[in-house]
Amino acid sequence: MITCGLDLGSGITKGVLLEDGHRVLAMTNAPTRGAPTETGRRVLESLVEEANLLPGDVQYLCTTGFARYAYPERDLQVSDLTASARGAVFLFPGTRHIVDIGSQSSRAISTSDTGRVLRFKMNEKCAAGAGRFIDRCSKYLQVPQPELSAKALQAERPKMVSSVCAVLAETEIINNVAEGVPLPDILMGVFLSLANRTHALMRYVGVVPEVTLVGGLVHSGAMVRALEETAKTHINVDPRAHYAAALGSAILGHARRQRLAAPTTTAASAAG
Amino acid sequence: MTIVAGIDIGSTTAKCVLLDGTSVVGRSLHPVGVELVKDAEQALEKALEAAHLTREEVAFVTGTGYGRFKVSFGQLVVTEIGCHAKGAHFLFPETRLVLDIGGQDTKAIRINGKGEVVDFAMNDKCAAGTGRFLDVCAGALGFDVAELGPAALQARHPVKVTSTCTVFAESEVTSYLSRGKEPRDIVAGLHESIVSRSMSLLQRVGIEPQLTFTGGVSRNEGMVRTLVRRTQLPVNVSPLSQYIGAIGAALFGTERVAGRSA
Repeated sequence: MITCGLDLGSGITKGVLLEDGHRVLAMTNAPTRGAPTETGRRVLESLVEEANLLPGDVQYLCTTGFARYAYPERDLQVSDLTASARGAVFLFPGTRHIVDIGSQSSRAISTSDTGRVLRFKMNEKCAAGAGRFIDRCSKYLQVPQPELSAKALQAERPKMVSSVCAVLAETEIINNVAEGVPLPDILMGVFLSLANRTHALMRYVGVVPEVTLVGGLVHSGAMVRALEETAKTHINVDPRAHYAAALGSAILGHARRQRLAAPTTTAASAAG
Repeated sequence: MTIVAGIDIGSTTAKCVLLDGTSVVGRSLHPVGVELVKDAEQALEKALEAAHLTREEVAFVTGTGYGRFKVSFGQLVVTEIGCHAKGAHFLFPETRLVLDIGGQDTKAIRINGKGEVVDFAMNDKCAAGTGRFLDVCAGALGFDVAELGPAALQARHPVKVTSTCTVFAESEVTSYLSRGKEPRDIVAGLHESIVSRSMSLLQRVGIEPQLTFTGGVSRNEGMVRTLVRRTQLPVNVSPLSQYIGAIGAALFGTERVAGRSA
């Protein structure tokens, strides 16, 4: 049975096609532009194409992410917390703590060994604690996104950002540039500042190893290093963890579909 | 005649006021750059030029504002909180509450009948609720900051800006525009958001008439109207409202000079 997980995020829409709840057939993403529904449909099309399937082969579709209710063709929607936790435990079965840094919000989640959410703490009010902070720095420092991490990792003396506001930090960072602080030091300071904010969420929930990072910053070595240094713990990283929520929703979709397909089992066993 | 200067180096603009007794004889205002020491000097020079005075005629220089320590040639440094209190009291003697919304921070200051600070609350940690919030959102609307006030006065159905964070509010503005909302209605929503943030600061120190509104954002008529409606108080706004910190600074200088000669 083939299920699809669609993570309709504020920055990027991610999609996963899964066979029998555990075999990944396709993974892809596209920046969310215009209506999230349209982006979601495009992602589904690419997934089907990538897996050499027909649209009708997808038997169950589960959405997650901020626009999960805005996708009419869904069979199910699950919260991004539930989906990320399930996806992270799938990738790293030892996961008990998940750090999810999205473009507009970030969360720390503690989970059971089955991927059930136990506790969480979320920031969705302030860009300084979200991926948007990095996006903006990339723009005004004119360093393309893919180069940010490599540049930051060259830092010798990271210049911490004292401002806790993404907008006020801009002024501070531009002043640092004007004062001749090397770019790598400035960039690493930005990652460390985001790591500090994230660590506050992690502490609130309670850090229990293993810790797994999910979301768009899994590709950023600088973010991982900043987070490991700040939280003083090892962090599991896998490029597929960018898709953790989409993966988790495909898994949860599969589980739901199976229960629906066998409605008499529970009745029979109850009777027996 | 004793001329004193007050120089207010804010996060966005530098202001200088030259005071002769109780009359403002010269003033200047310009946007600050990176080198604040130069901005301070330039502020004084421009004010002197406007007043047809020379540097030698200035008996005392007081610095205030976020960059007050960059007024390196001054004889005194006073916090902007003290200066706004003193300046507001000077222009409106019945002032008991000052709201100063600057380029990068917002302060609510409660003062006594002598213009002394009794209590204050401030936000300098987050751009929301400050002039910076308006700057960023005006950019998203393609407006000049000066156009915001007049636009808001034309609003019919103000939108509700739900994001607190400036960065997210900027995206919200873009999304309202793409949904066909009128810019003037969006601007009114932005003003409402800033005033909501100010209200919590004002409530922390206690709302009490008269209220005097100072700082760059007080030039915005839409903001003044919103503040009047929300506080249900008349709001004093001087044409010199952006210079109130500098006036307060200059007044501290006048006192020092008087004390010295006494």
